[in-house]
Amino acid sequence: MSKTNGQETVIAQGVRVEGDFKSQGDVIIEGEVAGNIQTAGDLRVGEQSKIKADVVANNAVVSGEIRGNMQVGGRLELTQSAQVIGDITVDTLSVAPGAQINGKITMDGRGVEMPKEESET
Amino acid sequence: MYYYVYDEFVQDQKFERDLALIETRLTDLGISGKIARLALFRDATELIQDEVKKGASTVVAVGNDMTLRKVIDAVGDSGVAIAIVPLGSNDNKIASLLGVPRGVEACDVLSARIIEELDVGVVNGRRFLNELHSTNVVGVKINCDGQYDLSPMRKSVLEVRNLADADDEVPAAKPTDGKLEIVLRTPSKSWIKSKTGVTLVPVGHATISCDAPIQISIDGELFEGEEFHIEVIPNRLKVVTGRERKF
Repeated sequence: MSKTNGQETVIAQGVRVEGDFKSQGDVIIEGEVAGNIQTAGDLRVGEQSKIKADVVANNAVVSGEIRGNMQVGGRLELTQSAQVIGDITVDTLSVAPGAQINGKITMDGRGVEMPKEESET
Repeated sequence: MYYYVYDEFVQDQKFERDLALIETRLTDLGISGKIARLALFRDATELIQDEVKKGASTVVAVGNDMTLRKVIDAVGDSGVAIAIVPLGSNDNKIASLLGVPRGVEACDVLSARIIEELDVGVVNGRRFLNELHSTNVVGVKINCDGQYDLSPMRKSVLEVRNLADADDEVPAAKPTDGKLEIVLRTPSKSWIKSKTGVTLVPVGHATISCDAPIQISIDGELFEGEEFHIEVIPNRLKVVTGRERKF
């Protein structure tokens, strides 16, 4: 995954996140998330993770479960243990044998709007 | 003008020789100054603030992390530089992170005067430079930047780091990035694999809340409460650092 200027965020197994999660850096999720995930960086979703959220990311590698719509500006890689229940908008898609997708796929990653950094007041 | 604040414990006889060496070296380097000796009923904040008003440009804590904490609280937003001359073998974690050696060697670091503007963490109005730490945290909600809540589902170790060294699980926390790092070390559910999952979240402000009071160590000092409001003030503290600093 490419490096961004933002800092890396890691949510480990055994930790739950609720709410609107926004980041400018790379995000690694091994735990549970409910709400929204938006990152201008890259997203990695671990095998044990469970996400009930709409997801926006620059690039993503998914090995866990996502219930929600995904918008990925660049490349989305679904590994063999991935489960996506929701619609996907993406530029480049890679699906491993065994990965499950239940939803509509639109190949138009250029239309995905990335989260912008909020300026401090 | 330098103002040296001697903590109560360094006035013990066992530090007499160290202090004599330090004072001689400071005179040789041309950076000697007024000395304040802390005692049980002598308020450090009042002493330091009086000297800052009189024009002290650098306040030097002679002692350990706790001495430096007193100085940080006292200098407040005055813009005065602070420094440490560490003495004794315990509680000198911050000095080590700042790259300041113990005893007389610290005088050369002081003289070189490499000043960094560091972020300061604030917990319920109290400032900290290093980190906040609590063990066996469960049933706790950490609201991050007013956007989302983090909750450990198993007993975890909670740290909020501003200036901290790297370890096997997390990188060093830089006190110059305008962020605090929330770290949750959560043990694995499996009894066979003894692996710790590490959550790492950079934040500008956070609120830790829980149903029952928890104990939190802030730069080594223990506090108890059910709600802790935490924020970072970027580039607020001018600190004299050594070349061996760990950030």
